[in-house]
Amino acid sequence: MKKLLSLVLALALVLSMVAIAGAEEAKDLPREETLYFGGQQWDPIVGYNPLGDNMNNGLILSAAPRGTRTVMFETLYMYNALDGKLYPLLADGDYVWNDDLTELTLKIKPAAKWSDGTPVTADDVVATWDISTKIQNGTYTGYSPYIESIENKDGDVLIKAKLNDEGKPANPLQVLDFLTGVYIVQKEWAEALCAKHNDDATAIRTDPTPDAVYSGPYGPYFANDQLVAFVRNDNYWGQDASMWGKLPAPKYMAHTIYKDNDATLVAFQAGQIDVDQQFIANVQKLWEEQGLPVATYIDEAPYGICVTMPTAWYNMDIPVMQVKELRKAIAMAVDYDNIIENAMTNQSPSFADVPRSVMNPTDGEQALFDHDAVKDLQWVGKDVEGAKKLLDEAGIVDNDGDGWREYNGEKISLKACCPDGWTDWQAAMNMVAEAGKAIGVEIIATFPTWDQYQTVFTKGSQTEYEIFMWSPPGAEPAAPWARVRALMSSEFVGVDNNWSGNFGHYKNDRIDEIIKQIPLTTDEAELKALYTEATKIYLEEVPSFSLMYRPEVFHAVNETVWTGYPEKDDGNNIPPMDCTDGYGIAALYNLELVK
Amino acid sequence: MKNTLRNVFHSPRFLVGFIIFMIILLTVLIYPWFVHRDPLQGLGKGFLEPGTYLSVYDANDTDTYRVELPEAAANRLEASLPTEDRQMMIDYLKAMGVDVSGLDTSNEKMEDLLVAWNANYDEADAKKNKYEGFATQAKRNALRRLDNKIKSSNSNVTMSVVKGEGDDATVKTVNGNDFVKVDEVANSVNLPLGTDNFGRDTLTELVEATGISLLIGLIAGSIATLLGLLVGLLAGYVGGVLDDILMFIANIFTVIPGFVLLILIYSALGAESRGIVTCAVIIGITSWVWTARSVRSQVISLRNRDHVNLSKLSGHSLFRIVTTDILPYIASYVVMAFILQVSSGILAEAQLSMLGLGPNPNELPTLGLMMNWAKLFGAYTSSNAWWAYFPVIMVIALISFSLNLMNTGLDQVFNPTLRD
Repeated sequence: MKKLLSLVLALALVLSMVAIAGAEEAKDLPREETLYFGGQQWDPIVGYNPLGDNMNNGLILSAAPRGTRTVMFETLYMYNALDGKLYPLLADGDYVWNDDLTELTLKIKPAAKWSDGTPVTADDVVATWDISTKIQNGTYTGYSPYIESIENKDGDVLIKAKLNDEGKPANPLQVLDFLTGVYIVQKEWAEALCAKHNDDATAIRTDPTPDAVYSGPYGPYFANDQLVAFVRNDNYWGQDASMWGKLPAPKYMAHTIYKDNDATLVAFQAGQIDVDQQFIANVQKLWEEQGLPVATYIDEAPYGICVTMPTAWYNMDIPVMQVKELRKAIAMAVDYDNIIENAMTNQSPSFADVPRSVMNPTDGEQALFDHDAVKDLQWVGKDVEGAKKLLDEAGIVDNDGDGWREYNGEKISLKACCPDGWTDWQAAMNMVAEAGKAIGVEIIATFPTWDQYQTVFTKGSQTEYEIFMWSPPGAEPAAPWARVRALMSSEFVGVDNNWSGNFGHYKNDRIDEIIKQIPLTTDEAELKALYTEATKIYLEEVPSFSLMYRPEVFHAVNETVWTGYPEKDDGNNIPPMDCTDGYGIAALYNLELVK
Repeated sequence: MKNTLRNVFHSPRFLVGFIIFMIILLTVLIYPWFVHRDPLQGLGKGFLEPGTYLSVYDANDTDTYRVELPEAAANRLEASLPTEDRQMMIDYLKAMGVDVSGLDTSNEKMEDLLVAWNANYDEADAKKNKYEGFATQAKRNALRRLDNKIKSSNSNVTMSVVKGEGDDATVKTVNGNDFVKVDEVANSVNLPLGTDNFGRDTLTELVEATGISLLIGLIAGSIATLLGLLVGLLAGYVGGVLDDILMFIANIFTVIPGFVLLILIYSALGAESRGIVTCAVIIGITSWVWTARSVRSQVISLRNRDHVNLSKLSGHSLFRIVTTDILPYIASYVVMAFILQVSSGILAEAQLSMLGLGPNPNELPTLGLMMNWAKLFGAYTSSNAWWAYFPVIMVIALISFSLNLMNTGLDQVFNPTLRD
């Protein structure tokens, strides 16, 4: 009897666990019709609300100017990280600025429709902005410093820029970010949502809205604790000749929720994931040694498009870091090739290939400054003798003979840190510490937990760590201006909870002027002169230094089921952005089954 | 005493365990005499396979000897174009619609195969036509790599090495039958276990790490045993309120899972303050409970023996009674417990480091840290570097295997119920 009872109890326990786990029942996903993703969704989703925040729905809600994921909801334009251009999505043709860059006008594509069949109109764009303003969501906080209002002008969208004290637009480049970075929602649906919650901003932002009206090619299919899946809307407006001319190839999109990177990688190797967004150490061994049908955008190092530069920042709040020569000497002594080969397993161009500047390695940005003018200022690294000489000349020497140099009679001891568990960064910080050892400057690499780290480096002022790591913006419509600003603008000095830039609190009046001037400059020669000057200042002053180049999203594909992914020089100009980000979504229309 | 030792060494289990352990220990002690290399120094770039690496630069500067090896040409061909590559070439030509009836993968047909390949393969064509079986990017990439290899490995020409630039340049011609004597090459390095993700010599690092892990195990084991012994003796012999208090503390430690406690303490400490000794001490002070409980129960059974009572009546001090009348009776148990504590201390360190909570990784390697970095850099997924983790697992397994063997060997000798 006892045995029976315990058996029944155990069974009940198991059944109840199963019942909890499978909150929403899994539906059929034929492998030959499904495109599986990896590395984009961690933990179960919260909801589908494009106006909300913290929906944790990686496959459809990832708004970033560099490439917004337009799977379910769509933006006006798509950013292409390859050529830096904007491609119309809901918008029709190019946008038009007025001469003062205070007003931007754009048309809406006549073919564009919502999933309920009604057309997308300028009113929807207006409502997106107005309701965002009302409920003060991320769109509002991100763009309200630059956008005054959005209006419907005879069926077109008119965006009025916010003006500064001098009557000039605050920042036209950030207005362009709005075009690629904000999901447009249907007016009727959004108003109904507001009415449902009696205009309670928090309730609106946290409503999961599983029934949201959308304009993109895929809608919700099912989601549970193990998997989230989307199904193609076969009435998608984009099959109109004015857009893609056909439907995307996969009928379903799915993302299994894995525990961590390792689990994801194992699934990717087994062909259970088609498109994987994760750093894979020595990715080439997957095909060279394991013979897997795996490919990356480029067949050889660096395997992807590197658009950002993980950077080591010097903390100017600490007096010893004010010494320009010390900053430069450390940066000169670091063995970058070693970082790139060991930490990044060669998935970055070297600083000999792409000499350092404020630009990322893309051709578009590299063309924006005068390479000869800054040639003498660029360093390749591992220049221990040069660094020692620089320090000796600056009077930073070892007087007491303990092997470490002193500043004002005190031994220099610097702490260099990055978050624990961020493998390639940790390895890079170790190598910065080694460079310090080589030139007689003590640098101790430490790895605080992420929780601790994020509060330290975003503080308005801190004297705990001398060197720390973060990346400036990568590719986006406002780049490279946005990067120059993030690297050196004094507007961030003393600002608490600062995630935007200049984490080391560097100050330079001239660079502030340049940062103000660039967005308002349209003449190309003038622009080039400004960027060259900014690069010069950055390389002379060394408020921070890049450690490597790195892709913003990793893109590796397993061609077990699908093929036809973007590859370098295929003539399609589709960026390797996981077949979903920005103009990268164009890849979905070229996919074919292997068999 | 002599007799006991003889008994112990007559136990085959103990002996095997002891020998394995001594081999590991001696390796750790002797190895640094022969290899003077900083275990944390990066030699290579990332994972290098085990093997001997010769400097190409120096090999070109070394005297050459003429050696006529009959199979040289065939070996060279096999090395540059293995059979599976040849098969792929044939498959591709077939997919293109080329007549492959006269071709196979043998060395004799190599020439024909290369002619057919060079006449037909074209990268742009492969991309455009997407022949069946070769439509994917991965396959086409493989074809292109193969084609590059064929182009660069034409073995019928002599090779020239040019040193210097301009008029000062000296040219050396290298023939197919030129050999160098390996030990004449100025620079070569033997890496029996390759290198890890930082390019460090894995064997040197492993030896150093084994030493440190043994040290951690030793310190942790000593602390745990001493603490457990002290608490057990006091609680068992004194009894009363002291017993209640000590057992209350021990019970608290028993119900909190030790490993969870370790994780919490370690993460609260932060990486900077986790030195080797700190790590060992923390492991020690969280794992004394079981020793304490068993010692206590044995002491309680000893407490009322006649010889103890006699000592008490003779007015001996507590210290003397405990050390002379009680401790000798439980000494064998304590030794066995100590061995197990050392073993579990090493394992605890490895587990914690594996989770990224080990000692500060910049200063010294430990077995767990080596596993952790191997895992982070995909040694057993993408990087395919078995040498970076398998030897480490083997060493951990051997250490705990040998210690456990020694323990059961001792048990056999000391435990009357197990005696043969």
